[in-house]
Amino acid sequence: MITINGTLKFRLALWLLIAVGGLGIFLLIEAYTSAHRAADRAFDSQLEAAELTIADAIQWQDGQPVVEIPAAAFQILATNQQERVFYAVIDAAGQEVTGNLKGFVQPAWRKEAKQNPVWLTIPQDDVAIRLHGRELDSAGWESQEPVQIWVGHTLSGRQALASQLFERSLTRFLLMVLLASLLMLLAIKSALRPIRRLRHLLRRRDADDIRPLHAQVPAELFDLAETLNSLFARQRESRDALLRLTADASHQLKTPLAGLQSTSELALQSTNPQTWYQALETVHESAARTSRLANQLLSLARLRHASAQTLESLDLGTTLRDCVMEWAERDIAQHHDLGLAPLPSSPVRIKAEPWAIREMIGNLIDNALRHTPRGSEITLGLERGTDEVTLFIEDNGPGVSEAMLDRLHHPFERAGRQDTLGSGLGLAIVDSIARRHEGVLRVQRSTTSGLRVSVRLSLSGLNEK
Amino acid sequence: MRLLVVEDDPLIAHSLTAALGPLGNNVETFALLSQARAALAHSHFDLILLDLGLPDGNGLTLLAELRDRNDATPVLILTARDGIEERVKGLDLGADDYLAKPFSLAELEARTRALLRRSQQRTDNRLTFGPVCFDPATGIATLHGQALALPRRELGLLESLLLHAGRIAPREVLVDRLFGFGEVGPNALEVYVSRLRKRLTGSGLRIRTLRGLGYRLEEEPA
Repeated sequence: MITINGTLKFRLALWLLIAVGGLGIFLLIEAYTSAHRAADRAFDSQLEAAELTIADAIQWQDGQPVVEIPAAAFQILATNQQERVFYAVIDAAGQEVTGNLKGFVQPAWRKEAKQNPVWLTIPQDDVAIRLHGRELDSAGWESQEPVQIWVGHTLSGRQALASQLFERSLTRFLLMVLLASLLMLLAIKSALRPIRRLRHLLRRRDADDIRPLHAQVPAELFDLAETLNSLFARQRESRDALLRLTADASHQLKTPLAGLQSTSELALQSTNPQTWYQALETVHESAARTSRLANQLLSLARLRHASAQTLESLDLGTTLRDCVMEWAERDIAQHHDLGLAPLPSSPVRIKAEPWAIREMIGNLIDNALRHTPRGSEITLGLERGTDEVTLFIEDNGPGVSEAMLDRLHHPFERAGRQDTLGSGLGLAIVDSIARRHEGVLRVQRSTTSGLRVSVRLSLSGLNEK
Repeated sequence: MRLLVVEDDPLIAHSLTAALGPLGNNVETFALLSQARAALAHSHFDLILLDLGLPDGNGLTLLAELRDRNDATPVLILTARDGIEERVKGLDLGADDYLAKPFSLAELEARTRALLRRSQQRTDNRLTFGPVCFDPATGIATLHGQALALPRRELGLLESLLLHAGRIAPREVLVDRLFGFGEVGPNALEVYVSRLRKRLTGSGLRIRTLRGLGYRLEEEPA
């Protein structure tokens, strides 16, 4: 039973999507932070430039710094975002010489600025301010009092630049994803093409076309194609065997049918009732032989072409007794002494298909009845070994020659006895069944010069000793 | 004796009628399950010969219906399917015997006779086979109408053989019937059989030994 479990397309797409998605999120985070870093760097250097411009403008009068803030400094600080701009020049005593940051610059910051330039981002009311302070050592002048210059502005300019940068990255990324999806679809389509090709190849075949596949397949599909080919090979073998058997069979069926036809034709041309009677006898005999042949062919076909059924544990003793009993009641057995040797007292369990075992015993009995003269003694029995059991049938008929013994179990071999009514299929069926049960068929001379046919089978292990 | 033949092949139906008619039987033949069902609804038959693969269904359904109604009319199944499964199913459903096509008419006649005998014994309690008769109610056996004075075990043996008349009476069944389940020597049964054989000499009946299987009371071939 084949059930559909998703599609390959879906699986491939899912995994590719997970990979692209994961990578994409990482890239977006990276793009976002780097946009902000770049904006910060750009605006910080503006602050620095403004500060230097202010520093250049500082004059000293009587040891006091005097500053005329140059317009250029404001131009630098002012962005097109209408930002608020802050600046302060603070002398050594902490007094603001000029500026709009009165009291805002904390002593701690000033102390820090004495050592190094300071960068601060200070939240103020509902906006944040970026503040930069540096101590200017006016070396070389009369007055050695250092001054500190602080400049700052709000952040909207930076944020505008950052989001502008990020938007650009985002656009590029989305374009890339779109392009990748298209390529992915193409890739999936092309990766699955060999499967489609194989499917078309198989679908185009006729139902009975079991030639090997000739196709170029990727390495991943090689196993599948190989398996299909070996399946085809097995089918071919089994079909060839069936064809051979059918050919043999139709030949075998044609022979008695031709006899029937010619006999009845001759009888119809005659007006002599005696001839009619003789012809009818022949016809009757031949019809019986033909129908038996048809039955045996059916058994053989069933044996060779039916898939193995589940084995059951059965008592070979009971099965044998039932079969012999049934055959002893049949009309064909009335002129023979058909009997059963004493059976082992405990059950003889084997694992087998019951119908096949019955078929086997039936064919052995049928064979013996047909190939021995009237009044012959035919005995069936079981010989039990430690882990195997031998089912045998013996007769005291004329037997066959030593050379013929081995060939007896081939289909359509009648030990050269064309006179008898056998089809030569009986032992072939027995042999097939024995093999099916991993048994061994032996054909020997019996102690009474007749034939002894035996089948050795393994015991199932369920037997009590 | 009324026989019902349900068989759709005209050639086979014809030969069945031709073969069974001379046995003193009134044979009615139907090709369809529905016709046979109708015939069974309003008349009684002594034996039904039933083909399985019929144009309007499987013969086994008719058999099942019959046995569901507690109708014990003997049924002999005739079919081309000799697969063991079909056969077991048929016997499980209450078929009395089974014959696979193609069959010889001689075999069919023999089995029909055996079944009819059993059918007759159901109405008439006496067991009869040829010149021998045994009435289980009185325990009296007769040969050609003459009372046979038989010891108890020989009488039991004769009864068992008559119950299976024309068919094999299995050894185990005879041993159980004669000796109960006690231990007996292997030849004990043979002793009683040969005694009974002597008494039947010249009666036209014989007891045939089937080695390892049992014994069969049969008519001596002419």
